[in-house]
Amino acid sequence: MKPTRWQAALTALLLVPVLAWTLFPIYWIATASFKTELSLYARPPHWLFTPIADNYTRVLTNIPFFQYLKNSLVIAIGTTIGSLVLGTLAGYGFARFRFRLSEAVRFLVLVMRMAPRMVLVVPYYLMMQRLGLLDTYTGLLIAYVSFALPFSIWLLIGFFVDVPLEVEEAAMIDGCSPLGVLLRIVIPIAAPGLVVAAIFAFLVSWNEFLFALILSGVEAKTLPVVIAGLNTDAGPLYGEMSAAAVMVMLPNIVMTLALQRYLVRGLTLGAVKG
Amino acid sequence: MAVGSAGRWFLLPGLVFLFTIDLIPLLYSAWISFYNWWLLRPRDVRFVGLANYARLASDAEFTRAVVVTTLFTSGAVLVEFLAGLGLALLFAQPFRFLRPLRVLLLLPLFVVPVVGATMWRVIFHPEIGVLNYYLSVLGLGRPPWLSDPTLALVSITIVDAWRTIPFMFLVMYAGIETLPGELYEAASVDGASAWHRFRYITVPLLTYIMLLAVLIRAMDVFREFDIIFVLTGGGPGTATQTIQILNYRAFGLGHMGEANAIGMVTLILVTLMCWILLRAVLGRRGAPA
Amino acid sequence: MTRIEKIVWSVLLVFTVALAADAPGWAQSKTITLSMLAGFKEDVVRANLPEFEKKTGIKVVVDAAPFADLYKKQVLALSTGAGRYDVVFVDEPWVPPLSEFLLPLNERMKTLDVADFVPTTLASGAFQGQQYAMPVDCNVQILVYRKDLFEQKGLKPPATWDELLSAAKAFHDPAKEKYGIAITASSDIQTALYMLLAQWSYGAELVDASGRGGLNTPAGKKGGEVFLELLKVAPLNVRSYAFADVNKAVQLGQAAMAIQWASGAKPMEDKQRSSVAGKLGYVKVPKAVRQTPMRGVWTIGIPKNSANQDAAWQFVTWLSGKDFGQAAMKFPSSTSAIHSSRISVLKDPGTRSAVPYADTLYDSLQIAKERPRLREYADVQEHLRVTAGKLTAGELTLDAALKEIDAGTNRILGK
Repeated sequence: MKPTRWQAALTALLLVPVLAWTLFPIYWIATASFKTELSLYARPPHWLFTPIADNYTRVLTNIPFFQYLKNSLVIAIGTTIGSLVLGTLAGYGFARFRFRLSEAVRFLVLVMRMAPRMVLVVPYYLMMQRLGLLDTYTGLLIAYVSFALPFSIWLLIGFFVDVPLEVEEAAMIDGCSPLGVLLRIVIPIAAPGLVVAAIFAFLVSWNEFLFALILSGVEAKTLPVVIAGLNTDAGPLYGEMSAAAVMVMLPNIVMTLALQRYLVRGLTLGAVKG
Repeated sequence: MAVGSAGRWFLLPGLVFLFTIDLIPLLYSAWISFYNWWLLRPRDVRFVGLANYARLASDAEFTRAVVVTTLFTSGAVLVEFLAGLGLALLFAQPFRFLRPLRVLLLLPLFVVPVVGATMWRVIFHPEIGVLNYYLSVLGLGRPPWLSDPTLALVSITIVDAWRTIPFMFLVMYAGIETLPGELYEAASVDGASAWHRFRYITVPLLTYIMLLAVLIRAMDVFREFDIIFVLTGGGPGTATQTIQILNYRAFGLGHMGEANAIGMVTLILVTLMCWILLRAVLGRRGAPA
Repeated sequence: MTRIEKIVWSVLLVFTVALAADAPGWAQSKTITLSMLAGFKEDVVRANLPEFEKKTGIKVVVDAAPFADLYKKQVLALSTGAGRYDVVFVDEPWVPPLSEFLLPLNERMKTLDVADFVPTTLASGAFQGQQYAMPVDCNVQILVYRKDLFEQKGLKPPATWDELLSAAKAFHDPAKEKYGIAITASSDIQTALYMLLAQWSYGAELVDASGRGGLNTPAGKKGGEVFLELLKVAPLNVRSYAFADVNKAVQLGQAAMAIQWASGAKPMEDKQRSSVAGKLGYVKVPKAVRQTPMRGVWTIGIPKNSANQDAAWQFVTWLSGKDFGQAAMKFPSSTSAIHSSRISVLKDPGTRSAVPYADTLYDSLQIAKERPRLREYADVQEHLRVTAGKLTAGELTLDAALKEIDAGTNRILGK
């Protein structure tokens, strides 16, 4: 069935409110980063204005922004790799391997995702203190992988079970080890799932505030804590906050653009089957 | 099974890591919840049994917070699920112009939560916000977005939806993208309508992914904090005071026993909610795998 | 193992080793760690640190936390004995709760020119006769008013609550988006503090001399009524207002008056942020039976478990000293405010010309009233905040709210 011209027009029409709703607050943040505070609150609202760079200058000169950016990047990339590796293995294990309590264990994995983090931060803190990992990348990394892992596992189970079993068996007969099957056959087919898992693992770490606040201090502090600091005791510094938020968004956009070509229907499915 | 007994080597690294890192603090936290421990009196830590829980059970403010949290969770998840599914279906259509727009749709996920909420507060500002400016130009008045008890709950739902519809969208969109296209072609050839293709192909094949998206959102909305804290701080009065806000208060004041008891009750409620959801959806069809 | 598997495992191995190398660095004895407030005051301190480091050879690393979380983080670090901080930046109500973990400074203080501190600010670092922290940034509630509008109407800035109310009514014109006074009535902490300010000036106490709640009294009720009256001459949606919204209403020229912390006045005088810069006047907060501007000084102290107490003291001396005070007053940013509590700085002609509210700040500090000095104060104030929020939202009547506040205070204090 070929989609009609009429259908395309309807889709385009629906996109207008969707994009307006999604993008307006972003537009407001992006422009606020180039506005004075007076202009942000101007009425009628300023859609066109003379941009100023003061907000960016203040953020970049008043706080060691790039050091925190580096911390955020290292920890987020580490979290992504860690949770993808562990999550792929475990997800595949759950998808293809059943044991007596597998249902229960799988649910327990999800329960870990539900843990009340606000109170768990204190036991974590004491644990990391004992291990000498307070204010280190490792300390935060361990916490974040454990945050991201349950979702990665559950998500990937869903994508792995859909991979046709016959393809895997054929590869096994050809002498592929189980890990080889996973890497060469299953992962390419389930690529969209891995992309989604990667994006969310990255975001878990990139946006996390509470653990970063409590566990880090000088060396491993990440950007969300720095940005929350711009919400001061005298109210939010809107311009500076927006400028920081824009700079913090950019790596995410780059990553998503890089990954999005794998978000395509049946990338290899046909090829493998044929 | 294709993999056979090798499976345990796939499972062990992840599970050992997860349970070591999460279960120990969790058990410790459960243990603390039976104590009277105030951080300001580190030498006066007493075992009090179930006293912390008993106090919560008899606290009207806590009961109210449970109601508010449940209302907020069910409303937000419902809105987000429907919108996310609709968008996923919209973008799964085979039009080339949709491809580059996908990233735009994801942008709210990338905004640091506290900044997103702060900017929404600016937008919602009753007197000088941009939303009320245009509403009043259109003659629709100036709704007190954050100071009316009902509207405040709606407002935090709006902001939560804005931020996490992209999550719902992405998860379900990726799910749809991995569905075998041949099935749809075959169905079209057989003359199935779009609704029938959705009802009898997409929904059954996507059940697991949809369920997962709902589960994850439900547990996160239940524990939402940043948005509420920035927008209303739990107010007006106690209108948006969720369990998490109470938990934050107890934790902030250093009452560890009470905070951990609230945390444990949250965990039990969320677990129960997810378990019921899982049973309700998968119970009859059987789990995947 | 296949080649791919080998690659995967070696990548993992490399990553693990890289992480293992990331051990916490051993602090040199000449490095001290400062726990302080992020944003608003952090940049002034950071900008001046090289000065201190050059002078003393002591390196200072800063762990800045957001306002809402600073206290929590300090309590956790100090009470679990993690010993991460050598100097802590503490808001004055938290000095009594944290005093148990702080080093008494009475002996060391003798080397300082103590007479140069505004006396009430020195008290903000003291608890039960001991000095635990030195004042760095003094803050007090003041009344901000629009000089131009008051002149047009031929009015004098109000000195009493009755004058304030009648002046506010004269300026209040919601149809034209002009409001008598900017204030907060959300569940923000400022709401409770505004009400407390009015109650104080009518003679009521949050905690009375016998250590019990003292707001459910005729004076407390009168103050509460005045507070509720103010909401009627405030912006229509004042029930969602927090600290920053008070500033916005002034800065956008909507409010004729505001009671605000002096720290909020700096952005009001910044042309990028305020359309009324230069048009504002500052006086002390109104009085009834007494005049009680609320004090809120930021102080610094040294944790008992710091391993670098001498270096930390050098830093405390410097941060609370005249040179830093002068530099901070002149720091060229409207988003940063540290107002030295040194008399010599506040009275300095340079300060008085650079900071239009310097005199009002100084005069208000002379008569400033402190919030109850109690270990349990954080709990008392939090309960006050929640109950005041219920009052403004209409969940409780004034009588019920005052009763509830006292009951909570008594419960917390074990009376």
